[in-house]
Amino acid sequence: MVKVYSTPTCVYCATLKQYLKEHDIAFEDVDASKDEAVFEEMVRKSGQMSVPVIEINGEIVVGFDKEKINELLNIKEQQ
Amino acid sequence: MYDLIIIGGGPAGMTAGIYACRQGLKTLIITKGFGGQMAQKSVEIENYPGFEKISGFDLISRFENHLRRHEVDIEIDSVIELKKNNNGFLVLTKSNKEFKSKTAVIASGGDPKSTGASGEKEFVGRGVSYCPVCDGPLFSNKDVAVVGGGDAGFESALFLSNYVRKIYILEYDSKIKASPANQALVKNIKNTEIITNASLKEIKGKVLVESIVYNDLKHNKEKSLDVSGVFIEIGYEPATSFILDPSLADFNKKKEIKVNLDNMRTKTPGLYAIGDVVSGKCKQIVVAAADGARAALDISHYLKNE
Repeated sequence: MVKVYSTPTCVYCATLKQYLKEHDIAFEDVDASKDEAVFEEMVRKSGQMSVPVIEINGEIVVGFDKEKINELLNIKEQQ
Repeated sequence: MYDLIIIGGGPAGMTAGIYACRQGLKTLIITKGFGGQMAQKSVEIENYPGFEKISGFDLISRFENHLRRHEVDIEIDSVIELKKNNNGFLVLTKSNKEFKSKTAVIASGGDPKSTGASGEKEFVGRGVSYCPVCDGPLFSNKDVAVVGGGDAGFESALFLSNYVRKIYILEYDSKIKASPANQALVKNIKNTEIITNASLKEIKGKVLVESIVYNDLKHNKEKSLDVSGVFIEIGYEPATSFILDPSLADFNKKKEIKVNLDNMRTKTPGLYAIGDVVSGKCKQIVVAAADGARAALDISHYLKNE
């Protein structure tokens, strides 16, 4: 299960979502600014008040950390 | 082997990419993300010709879509080193990738300056933010501080006022530097307090930010404010940490790269610099885009004569 916590005005979140789409990764996109419960969940899980936060099978990655995301999702990029 | 590698995906880098592809050059753009400082623009852009008013987000999407229509390779990554070798350039990235090119364009823009206050680094992402437009919506109904009383600070306050309960704007100087127009706009926002002569000293909290301490320079007194968010808006410094060999280019006092403004060449043949990382005084989207065009057209010429 892949979940992306974002805000509608965050360009870096858009870049991350585009990257996941390019690699055919299905994900749930949640707006952490719209719903207090979603926001609380993001802060509790990540300790962060900053987006993007991505949850990959229970593991939390803060920001667009491509190396970590590639590792967790087994994305292999061409050199 | 690429004809050119562009480091940075702001307006300068994206325009260079569009022009280079149209010149038939084999092009790679390496960037952390698209937009550069446009991605952090808190208010609508009103001075990019053809668009009376457009958000940074929308203008970036247009640039990016335009770029992606061309045969360009895109690598979302951070550059950690740019090297010159006998055949051209070698670019190393954080993901341990290595790319080679005949020419290179530095379009890395700027990194937000930090205040140096105690706690600032520790609380990044936990209340401290350099991107109000990204994180601002998360602070709904909370009290926040904006550090910096220039246009960027005031524009951030305007954006944040859509979400937060109270905004304190802290300015180090005795006078506000923001334009009269921005000052007038901020004056109309409820619950905004401007504090001049304020030197941020410490950002405090347990897990997340809870308060800040600043020196009131006029009264020589330490004061504190309870806030959940601290948005730092005190300007940018050139993002050139990947240039480990300083002999590749000349720099001015601000550490911006010196170029020939006719063609954006640095002193190293085949190495170009464009946009906000360059020593030009005019830090504007349209100027950055023009820099990209100049560099790409000159590179096309340079490669033909090689």
